[in-house]
Amino acid sequence: MTSKETFLKPLLKENPVTLHVLGICSALAITNSLTSSLIMSVSLTSVLVMTNVTISLIRRHLPSSVRLIVQITIIASAVAIIDQLLTAYLPDAAKTLRVYIALIVTNCIVLGRAEACAMKRGPGASFLDALGNGLGFSIILIIVAVIRELFGNGSLMGYRILELVHEGGWYEPNAMLLLPPSAFFIIGFIVWVIRSWKPEQNEEAEFKPAPLPDSEKR
Amino acid sequence: MHNDSPLKAFFVVVVTAIICSSLVSAAVVILRPIQLNNQMLDRSRNIMKLTGLVEKGVAPGDEEILELFRSMDVRIVDIDRAVFSNELDPLSFDQRRAANNPDLGVDIPAGQDLSSLGRRSRFTTVYIVLRDGELERLILPVHGAGMWSMIYGYIALEPDLNTIAAVTFYEQAETPGIGDQIQRPEWQAQWQGRRIYDETGELRFAINQGKVEPGTSTWLYEVDALTGATVTADAVTSMIHYWFGSHGYRGFLDLLREQGYAVSRITGSTG
Repeated sequence: MTSKETFLKPLLKENPVTLHVLGICSALAITNSLTSSLIMSVSLTSVLVMTNVTISLIRRHLPSSVRLIVQITIIASAVAIIDQLLTAYLPDAAKTLRVYIALIVTNCIVLGRAEACAMKRGPGASFLDALGNGLGFSIILIIVAVIRELFGNGSLMGYRILELVHEGGWYEPNAMLLLPPSAFFIIGFIVWVIRSWKPEQNEEAEFKPAPLPDSEKR
Repeated sequence: MHNDSPLKAFFVVVVTAIICSSLVSAAVVILRPIQLNNQMLDRSRNIMKLTGLVEKGVAPGDEEILELFRSMDVRIVDIDRAVFSNELDPLSFDQRRAANNPDLGVDIPAGQDLSSLGRRSRFTTVYIVLRDGELERLILPVHGAGMWSMIYGYIALEPDLNTIAAVTFYEQAETPGIGDQIQRPEWQAQWQGRRIYDETGELRFAINQGKVEPGTSTWLYEVDALTGATVTADAVTSMIHYWFGSHGYRGFLDLLREQGYAVSRITGSTG
C-alpha cells in the first residue's frame, strides 16, 4: 500500500465509523454541539497519532503475552495528558467534555488501529494511518454535529444562525436532534448513502436461513 | 533476549509503566497552576455576575475580576448553628469535599431532603457585598439534583434577605437545549425582584408551570416555566425550598434579620 493510500483510504473507503462502525459511542454523545465535536476530533486524532507511532516504534519488542496491556497503558497515558492540556487551556470546553475525553481510552478506533496497523507497519505508515483514521472519524463527527446543532438549536459553534421562536424568531428547533438517539439515525443515514454509492462496503450476511428439510416441504 | 521469555515481558511492562507514569505526572504538575487559576477565575466570574459590581455589557479582564473578587467580604457560615465561623479559611474551603467528611458534613433527614442530596457540608462560603459599610447583597451557594446531574448555582439576595437580586447556575449537565435552559441569561434575569418568603414567612418561591401573569397572587414569588423542562424546573424549585427551608439557610437568615441586618453587627458577631 502506498503512503497516499494509507492516508486516504480511511477517509471514505475504509472510514472507521461508517465501514467498521467503531467509535460510535463518542459520536453519539458529543455531536450535539459543533465546538465539542471539533475538540473531540482534534483530541482523538492526536491520541491516535501519538499512540500509533509509539506502538509502531516498539512493536518488535512487544511480547505477545503482554501486548494489549502495554498498548492500553500507552493509550491511557496519552489520553490523560490530552485531558490535562484541555483543562488547562480550554477550561470551558473541558468542563462539558470531561467524561468523554477520558473515554477515548475505550474508543475502539484507537486500540483497533494499534492492533491492525501499528503492530505490523513502520512508524511512518502508522503515522499516516492514524492521521487518516482520525480525520475519517472527524469528518463523520463534524457532519453529524452540523446537522444536530443547526437544526436542533439553530446555531453553529454557539453562533445563532436560525432565529428561534422562543427568542422571537421563526425557527422551531427540533429538540429530538439534541438527544443522543438522533445521532444514531444520522449516522445510519450516512452509512446507507455511502453503501448505496459503494455497494462493495456491504457486509456478507452472517447467517443464511437453512433450506427446509424435504420432509417439511409441501 | 527472546520476545517470548517471561523476563522480557516483565521488563517491557515495567519500563512502559515507568515512562508513561512519569509523562502523565509531569503533565499534571506542570499544568496544575494554570488549571487552578482557571477554576478560581471561573468561580470569581460567576460570583461577580451576581454582585452588581460589574456593569451590564462590560466584560472585565481577568485581573480586574480577581481585584473585585478580593474586595468582597468572604465568610464561612456554620449553617446548623446559624452563625459566622472563623474555624475555616473561606478561600480554600471546599464545600463539596466537606459534605462527605464525617466531621464537616451532616446527613440530611430523609423527610427534609427535597433535593436528593443525602449529605451536605455543615459550613458554607458566603459572599457579602458592602457599599459604604452597608449590606448590599448577600450571595449564597445552592446545589441540588436535577434530572440527570447535580446543579450548582449562587443566589444573590437584596438587603431584605428575601428579594432575589440575581441568580446563576454555573455547573449542570441537564438535557441540552431543554433543561440546560436554566443557564440562559434571559431566563435567569426573570428571577430578579422575585421573593422567596411571603409576609407570614412561608416559603412561596416556585417555577411556574406556565407563564407568570403580573398581578396574580403568586407572581411576586414565581418565575416562568421552561418549555419542555418540567423535571429540571421542579428540581430547581425543590433546591430553593431545601436551601431556604429550615434545614438550609433559614435559621441564618432569620438571625441576620433579627440583628437588623446591620453589617457592623454581622462583623461584630464573628468574634
